[in-house]
Amino acid sequence: MLSILVSGVINGGAYALLAVGISLIFGVSNLINLAQGSVFAVGALTGWWLIAEMHWPLWAAVIGVVLFTGLLGLVINVLAVQPLAGAPPIAALLATFGVSIILENAAQLVFSPETRRFPQLLSSDDFEVAGVRFGTLHVVILTITAVVIAALAAFLRHHRLGQAIRATAQDRQAAAQMGIPVRAVDNAAFVLASALGGLAGVFVGMYVSNINPTIGAMAVFEAFTAATLGGLGNMPGAIVGGLLLGIAEAFGIAQWGDGARQLITFTVLIAVLWLRPSGLLGKARTLAAEPMTGTFFGSGTPYRLHRRQAAALIVFAVAVAPFLFSDYVLEVGAQILVFAILALSLTLLAGNAGQMSLGQAGPLALGSYASALLTTRIGLGFWTALLVSGVVAAVVSVVLVAPSWRLRGHYVAIATLGTGMMVAAFMLNADWLTGGPQGISGIPQPRILGFRFETPATFYLLNLVVLLLVIGVVRRLQNSPLGTVWSAIREDEVAVRSAGVNAASYKSLAFAIGGFIAGIAGSLQAHQYGYIDPSVFNMQISLLAVTIVVLGGISSPLGVVLGSIVLVGVPELFRDLQDYRMLFYGLVLVLLVRFRPQGLLGRAADTSGGAVRGVLRTAPRRDTA
Amino acid sequence: MNDLSRRRILQGALLGAGALTLNACRNPFSASSGSAGGSSSGPVVFGVSAPMTGDSAEYGAIWKKAFDLALAEANQAGGIGGRKIQVDVQDSQAAPRQAVTIAQKFASDDRIVAELGDFASPASMAASSIYERAKLTQFGITDSHPDFTKGGEYVWSNAQSQNDAAKSQADLAHKHGKRHAVVYLDTDWGATVWKIYEKSAKANGDTITYSSGFIASSTDFRPTLIKARQSNPDMLVIIGYYKDAALLTQQARSVGFEKLPIVIANSAYSPQFLALGGTATEGVRLSTTFFADEPRPEVREFVKKWRGRYKETPDMFAAGAYDAINILIWAAKKHGATREGIHQGLLKGKDIPSVSYGPLTFGPDRRVAGARFLEVVVKGGKYVLADGAE
Repeated sequence: MLSILVSGVINGGAYALLAVGISLIFGVSNLINLAQGSVFAVGALTGWWLIAEMHWPLWAAVIGVVLFTGLLGLVINVLAVQPLAGAPPIAALLATFGVSIILENAAQLVFSPETRRFPQLLSSDDFEVAGVRFGTLHVVILTITAVVIAALAAFLRHHRLGQAIRATAQDRQAAAQMGIPVRAVDNAAFVLASALGGLAGVFVGMYVSNINPTIGAMAVFEAFTAATLGGLGNMPGAIVGGLLLGIAEAFGIAQWGDGARQLITFTVLIAVLWLRPSGLLGKARTLAAEPMTGTFFGSGTPYRLHRRQAAALIVFAVAVAPFLFSDYVLEVGAQILVFAILALSLTLLAGNAGQMSLGQAGPLALGSYASALLTTRIGLGFWTALLVSGVVAAVVSVVLVAPSWRLRGHYVAIATLGTGMMVAAFMLNADWLTGGPQGISGIPQPRILGFRFETPATFYLLNLVVLLLVIGVVRRLQNSPLGTVWSAIREDEVAVRSAGVNAASYKSLAFAIGGFIAGIAGSLQAHQYGYIDPSVFNMQISLLAVTIVVLGGISSPLGVVLGSIVLVGVPELFRDLQDYRMLFYGLVLVLLVRFRPQGLLGRAADTSGGAVRGVLRTAPRRDTA
Repeated sequence: MNDLSRRRILQGALLGAGALTLNACRNPFSASSGSAGGSSSGPVVFGVSAPMTGDSAEYGAIWKKAFDLALAEANQAGGIGGRKIQVDVQDSQAAPRQAVTIAQKFASDDRIVAELGDFASPASMAASSIYERAKLTQFGITDSHPDFTKGGEYVWSNAQSQNDAAKSQADLAHKHGKRHAVVYLDTDWGATVWKIYEKSAKANGDTITYSSGFIASSTDFRPTLIKARQSNPDMLVIIGYYKDAALLTQQARSVGFEKLPIVIANSAYSPQFLALGGTATEGVRLSTTFFADEPRPEVREFVKKWRGRYKETPDMFAAGAYDAINILIWAAKKHGATREGIHQGLLKGKDIPSVSYGPLTFGPDRRVAGARFLEVVVKGGKYVLADGAE
């Protein structure tokens, strides 16, 4: 018992150091910074280079790394995040995701992808408690975390810039009116947080001893959970959250094995959001009432095709393309279509109801697994399985997300992120049902009247037909009275609730329909590969769906198809760039978010508030009926 | 957006579409579309599907080095019938979705005469049916999943099936104790090895005192290892690659495994394991088909060439990739640098030269049978043959 507690505290200290930076940026700039993990990795690699290759002493290397990552933070904020000040928070979040891809791949090119040993400058085994050896290093990590947080607290309380940061965090507009340069404050927060990320890189790098350019990918979610547990924006909370998460993981892993780590992390995240969203130390403050997607996207005029143009496009896609293109292009086409369907699952939810989900990999996985199990274990036919898997995905994801509807803004998005990851983590651990890490193979190919779908052209057509059906359903719902209610919730939830509309139920309905569509996409995918395992349904997939729907113009089904062509097709076009491929993909992502935050085809339009007025007139009647 | 620019977009799209590969005269809905493949002039090209970015990128980088070395030698020696040999490396991130796309790309590309990879069995196996349909040889280098070569007649591998490799690890462990605590990588590979290991260990009369999967991205294994230690085992068995095994070994030494033997999987055989694990690796044991200090002439020559070019000692992955491409080159030389020629070469070839096996012949399961496993132990920071081994 004691030995496990000690090991949890040691690991929790590392989480705490990472969580401080995330908490700081969230508190000041109200931004989920997905690039923090990559900055941490860059810090670790730079520290390794300065110490192992340049033979700098530890103190000099720490200063060098802190300066470098601090500067990096400034560059990230000025180039990628700040230009999006007027855009909804989701645009900034996607920008930091793009930056993390760029940093991770740039680090691979500069430092090469191999794992290397971080020089052990501090002993890691000179103490022993309860049979667990630990060392000066672990004590130093905990001490540094505490000192950093004390220094940060003093700075925030007494220094003028610190006071400006706090003022901005409390009320951005009021601060600006009092003459505080809020943009400079944002810069300061980013520099501070990134410098802390770099600092964490050196010490956590030494702690984990083996480092490579991808170490930040998972660390960022653990740190994020720790920060949420302690209270986002609360600095001492980051320490408490880090230590508690470390201890919870240690005991959970001792019980269920290391494979359960992610399941534990994300269960903790969801539990915090359900029970105490402001965290253990955070004050229950009025959560920002700003929906993730903002009214800006929703009201962008969707690009519409004339009937004849649409017909011509469909004829081309159905009757000409399969004969015109090679199997390779059709295979990519089939994938573009599946991702378009997945992204369409967000159109009603994000575009109409104004609620972004960062976890659509969840229903995608549920649909894939449901379909795979139903066909391989029970022998159900593909078409029945397709529909049932949609229903399963809808029901399970609604049940998981429903308790989160009382939250607002970022917190719902974080909850969806957590549930999405939790689903994949569950699939990894539920060996008895899902085959665990080995996944499910031998998933049969679809058949219709004896015809087998097995070439890329047949899958392409199958996906195309499903896509057209889904587009039809989505457009019909958008133009229905139901669509008006969703739009009203997006534009002014308080007003709609005052009118007696149960907003949470309507959001759940949008989420269910989205879950159904994503589940269908999952089923299609499972039957095309014939094999699925939990690693397919990662965070990247969820964020890809979000990016597609944002760039496509968030409420435009046609735009989603275009967005999917760009975002799934572009990495294929970049194949000739070899190792630079993902780097360029990240760049394209950042540039697209920077210059087309309203979508590739969308056009920003002013909000008329028409939908709200419509609901205010009709809603009470509808609700009592 | 006005009408003019709309029209321009449409025009652009159509032009772009027209510029793409035109595949007339074929039925895209029928599954029997094998291409002859392999023109008779220009370079001979092997397709490679490998992780060049993402979590497994470092293993892809090792392959690339192995191919570069093999190609430099083969082209120096006149290529295949005077034609230069090239590889077309495509990044899959070891993900099934991308491996499938790459397979389709290679299948549609007449220059490609055979394919190597992918790194992870799930990615390779997702792509197998496409290679099979195109009658294009898919040659797995690391695909040890017992079902991999069952994917079709054109699916081959020079990797040991886990049926052999995991059993040899269990047999080695058996020599050093009867109570095994096992941790395995929670992926398709790790879980497969673990199942075979468990069966073999039980057949040997050994007891599994503790077992748990672990995730590659984890950095703190202490809770798992403390539990493993509390089960009172004679040894710790690690089923993972070198970077996992190095971290686990270090942390195991700090929670009570200081004196107990540690047995690692053959996939962890790498100088990187020693570099990453430091002094903690002392006394670690494994059984491997490739051992850099083995006195066989093939091994000595390969290691010398690798050290000369890269100033480092090659590992399992390096030897496997170097062998794989040389086997394909050998087949192309014997039976023609076409898709069918290479398939025939593998089917009929006898005593094909290789580093890991010496002269090899493929069995009916399209794998190499009868590999010898060597027991190796870390002593004084180096791998040496264990006492009593040959």
